Formats: sequence, C-alpha cells, structure tokens
Amino acid sequence: MKARPIAAALAVLGYVIMLVPILFVVASAFTSSSTLSFPPKGFSLQWFGKAAAYQPFTDALVSSLLLAGCATALALALGVPVALGLHRGAIPGRSLLQGLFLSPLVVPELVIGLALYQQLMIGLGQTAFAALLIGHAVLLMPYAVRVTGAALTLADPALEEAARGLGATPWRAFRTVTLPLLRPGVMSAALLGFITSFNNVPLSLLLQSRDFGTLPVTMLDYVQQSYDPVIAAMSTLILAATIIVAVVAERTVGFTRIFGGIN
Amino acid sequence: MTAAAQFIDVSRTFGDFTAVGSLNLDIPEGRITTLLGPSGCGKTTTLRMLAGYTAPSSGTIRIAGEDATRLPPEKRNLGMVFQSYALFPHMSVADNVGYGLKLRRIPAAERRSRVAEALDLVGLGHLAAQRPRKLSGGQQQRVALARAIAIRPSLLLLDEPLSNLDARLRVQMRAEIRRIQAETGLTVVLVTHDQDEALEMSDVMVLMRAGHVMQSGSPAEVFPRPANRFVAEFLGYENFVPASLSASDGATTLTVRPEHLEVVQGEAPDGARLALPATVTGIAYRGVDRHLTLSAPRGEGEDDVTLIATVRADHSRADWRPGDRVTVSARPEHVVELAD
Ligand SMILES: Nc1ncnc2c1ncn2[C@@H]1O[C@H](COP(=O)(O)OP(=O)(O)OP(=O)(O)O)[C@@H](O)[C@H]1O
Ligand SMILES: [Mg+2]
Repeated sequence: MKARPIAAALAVLGYVIMLVPILFVVASAFTSSSTLSFPPKGFSLQWFGKAAAYQPFTDALVSSLLLAGCATALALALGVPVALGLHRGAIPGRSLLQGLFLSPLVVPELVIGLALYQQLMIGLGQTAFAALLIGHAVLLMPYAVRVTGAALTLADPALEEAARGLGATPWRAFRTVTLPLLRPGVMSAALLGFITSFNNVPLSLLLQSRDFGTLPVTMLDYVQQSYDPVIAAMSTLILAATIIVAVVAERTVGFTRIFGGIN
Repeated sequence: MTAAAQFIDVSRTFGDFTAVGSLNLDIPEGRITTLLGPSGCGKTTTLRMLAGYTAPSSGTIRIAGEDATRLPPEKRNLGMVFQSYALFPHMSVADNVGYGLKLRRIPAAERRSRVAEALDLVGLGHLAAQRPRKLSGGQQQRVALARAIAIRPSLLLLDEPLSNLDARLRVQMRAEIRRIQAETGLTVVLVTHDQDEALEMSDVMVLMRAGHVMQSGSPAEVFPRPANRFVAEFLGYENFVPASLSASDGATTLTVRPEHLEVVQGEAPDGARLALPATVTGIAYRGVDRHLTLSAPRGEGEDDVTLIATVRADHSRADWRPGDRVTVSARPEHVVELAD
C-alpha cells in the first residue's frame, strides 16, 4: 500500500476527535462517586441500575423505539415505490422528483419541525405522535429512496428481462427477482432510518408533548436539571445497543453496502 | 426451409433515429442464423424485437407462423442468452435453470430431471448447487445457455454470447454452441460483430448496416461473393480497384482478398483476370508470410491505387524490398465485381 502520511494523519485525528469524547462518557459511567467526573473515582455499576430503573427514561425509550419503528416503516412504504419509479424512469419530471426527495437532507430539520408544528398540531389538532411520525418519516424518506435506489442501480436490468423471457409475468418477475435483490438495500435503509430517527433531537424537540417524549430529548431535559452519572450510564447503554445492532447488521448485510449506498 | 420466425417490413425508430429500417428476414427452422455487422447497426434491436423486449415501430413479426408482434416476452417461449448472462444471483445454478420450468408448473421430479439434463448438455452437472457468482465467465455462460434451453424454446437467441470470454474459450465455445444446436435441433439466432465467428457458426449469415440488411446467405455463398463494397470490406476484402483498370462490363469496382493477389516480377501469369504494374511501398513480416503494400498508378492526374497482398516468403529468391517494380495479378475466380 502506498503511504499517504497526511491523509493517514487526518484520518487518525478524525477518529480521535470522534472517539475520545465517547470514551470520556463511557468511562465516567463506571464511577462510584455521585458526580460526573473524569477520570472516574472508583468503580461501580450502580448508575446503570439507576438509569434502567428511572421511569422517564424507560417510558421515553419505549416511545423512541415505537416512533423509530413506525417512522421507518412509513418511510420505506413510501420510499421504496418512489425509488422503483424513479429508477424505471417511468415518472415524468424525474430529476425534479429526485431533487425533492433529497431536500430534507438540506432543509434544516427545525424548519420542517416548525412547519409541522404549525400545521398539524396547532392547525389540525393532531397528537404529538402523529406529528412526530410524519416529521420523522419525511426526514427518513431520502434514506429510503437513495439507499434503495443505490441497490437498484447495482441490479442488472437484464435480470428482470431474463425472467420475463423465461415465462414470468411482470409482477412475478418483480417478486421473484427484483425484490430479493432489493432486500439488502431495503434492510440498510431501514437500519439507517431507524438509527437516524432514534437519535433525532431537533424535530423531536419541537414536536414532543408532555405525554410523548423521545429518549434523546428526555435525556437532554435531564442534563439540564441534574448532572450525575446516570446520564453517562444511559448513554453507554444506548451506545452498547447500537454497537450490537451494527455488528448484527455487518454480519447479515455488510456495512460497506449500507454506507456505500448513501453517497 | 420453413421459417421459425419472420420479420415482415419491421422497423424501429428511437425519436428521429432509425435503428432498424424495413427489415424483411426469414429465420430458417433448425439452423443457426447470425446477425453480423458493426456496432450500432441494429443487431441487438432486431433480436430484442424478436424476443419481445422492444416493440417494433411498424411491421409484423411472426413466430411459428403466428403474428407475435404485440405478444409480451413471457408468451413467446423463446430462450434468450444475454450478453451479461443475467443469471439470478440469489439462486443456485439449478434454481436458475429450473426457473422457467417452475413457471410452467412442471412437477418437481420432472423439473429436476430436466434441469440435470440441461446442465449435462453444457457439461456443468457438477455445479448445480453453486451460486452463479462463484463460477467463471465461461461457466456462467453455459448456465445461461442451459437455462434458456431447459424451457425447450422455439428459438434460442444469443446476443454476442462469446464477447465476454477470452480468445481461447471463445473459439472453444463456438464449437460447443454448434454441438448443442446439432444435438437439440434448435433454431438459433446469434448476434455477433466478429466475422470469423459468423463464418464458422452460421448456416445463414445476415450482414447488417445502419438498420438494413446488406446481404444474407450461407457463408459459402456470401464469403466468396460479397454483394457490395460494405460486405466486402467487412469480410476482409482489402483491395478495391476501379474497374476502368481492367476490362469489365457493368462493374465499377473489382475486389480481391489480400491472400489472393499474386505478386511477380515481369509478366502476369497466363489467364490472370487482373494484371497491374505496381511498386512495392512497404513490407511487414508475419512469420512465413509477407504483408506487402503496393502502389499501382491509375492514370494521368489521379491518385495511385493502394493494394495489399499477403504472399508466402520465397526462399529461392531475395525478399521483396520497397521500390521493387512488380506485376500484381489475380485469377478470375478470386476477383469479385461490385456495382458500387
Ligand atoms: N433504447 C434506445 N434509445 C435510443 N437509441 C437506442 C436505443 N436502443 C438502441 N438505440 C440505438 O439504435 C442503434 C442500434 O442499436 P443496437 O443496440 O441494436 O446496435 P447493435 O448492432 O447491437 O450494436 P452493438 O454491436 O454495439 O451492440 C444504436 O445507434 C443505438 O444507439
Ligand atoms: Mg448489441
């Protein structure tokens, strides 16, 4: 391999900048003192127990998982057909549509949130969950469309033709050939969407209500009131869960495919 | 010969561009027909119209005597081998080959035996359980062939089936496809831009240019008697001599293959159809052959005619050298008269 010292140094620096704060948080979750500090004093697991037993967190976790699951499903249900349509080129104004489905990536989420807040919650009196679901689904659509689209571009268009030639109706060819080939793309989009929704703060901050708050926002609230290791423990738990999901995804689908699909 | 398929005045345009223009063509049953021509001449478009993937802009396509012009591909019962092979990556080799049989609701037991039979025909019975990705290019192509043959199609369509293979495998597969055709008696339509491939494999070769048929017939008919300059050039005739340099009625150009030109010092041999004084301008050594470039004067104020001759080295005399004054001749049976 050719040595590229500057690129390598930048990469290392990037990882350090990304990872060091995380390590600080993880380390301080194991402290035995009652304040957040680094280096941690002593060793204890008590904060994990407290975090897991703290009801606002567990409620918010359920809400967040529910919201992320529903929003991902909704985004895929809309996004996969759109990706198929765009790929086939059957839709007039294709580039405009492509631009449209990219827009949430560039429009600030706060703007989307505010718009939904005014229209849905104030204007139509919808619940926080409905507004959050729509907001998150809109946020996730680009992932659904683009990642699925990337999987489609990789598939040889002759495959479906070959199936037709062998006697398959268009629907049958789609179901037995295109759909199975799309599965990794859809799974990638789902994973990415789920994590994006789960971690989202700006939209959730605007659209949550007293009886429906997501975990990141609840944690943000918590930090503003008390600054103890419970928050570090909760963060560490989420981190661990994310790593497990990532490892499983890597084993089943492969991260290269997941992230290869985004750009 | 009965026709397995017919094109009747078929044309296909893309916007203003005519990819295939009023094509009339009979595909004879139980034979190999090749569509031969340079890139972009409409070979693939013709094949895709036959398979039902591209609709003709006008005209009629008949398959086994029936009008099939508007029939979708799944109702045509044709076996197509794509240039990219288009094997289903998520299925095993056996499932690929069995795909069409499953759609035909053939019972599992019979399906298995027909899959095995098709794979044996292409010599891949031992790879039935593999995924296509694990196979070499040549093996993938055989699977694609087996998959197309397994449905017992009324025609087997091959789009440049050998172009992704290396040179040796390509020559081997030519014989293989001929053998499979002979064993099955299938009607085959094969697209290629390689004249050697077409000459070796065709019962009927169809030469196409810019969406039109320039000549068709068996290699034995077409090769020694190209009908026009395009076909002659495509088949490797490299010498084009204005007919005015030799007595001939009607023709405007005479053409001779490089290996059929004779180069001598002094008089042309008796009975030569063509005899031109010329000067050697270049020599390339090709093993035992000498590839001579020659220049023959045409007349006052006109450019010389450039000739190319492939001759055997003659060790009884000194090798040719630039500047040698020679006579270039050809026997009557090797001279083809062209109207253009
Ligand atoms: N879907 C299409 N849209 C526009 N033009 C097309 C389309 N399909 C083919 N053409 C044009 O029609 C002409 C003939 O194409 P075709 O693929 O039949 O050529 P070919 O003889 O198979 O060439 P090659 O040897 O390169 O494969 C080409 O100029 C091509 O650009
Ligand atoms: Mg082609």
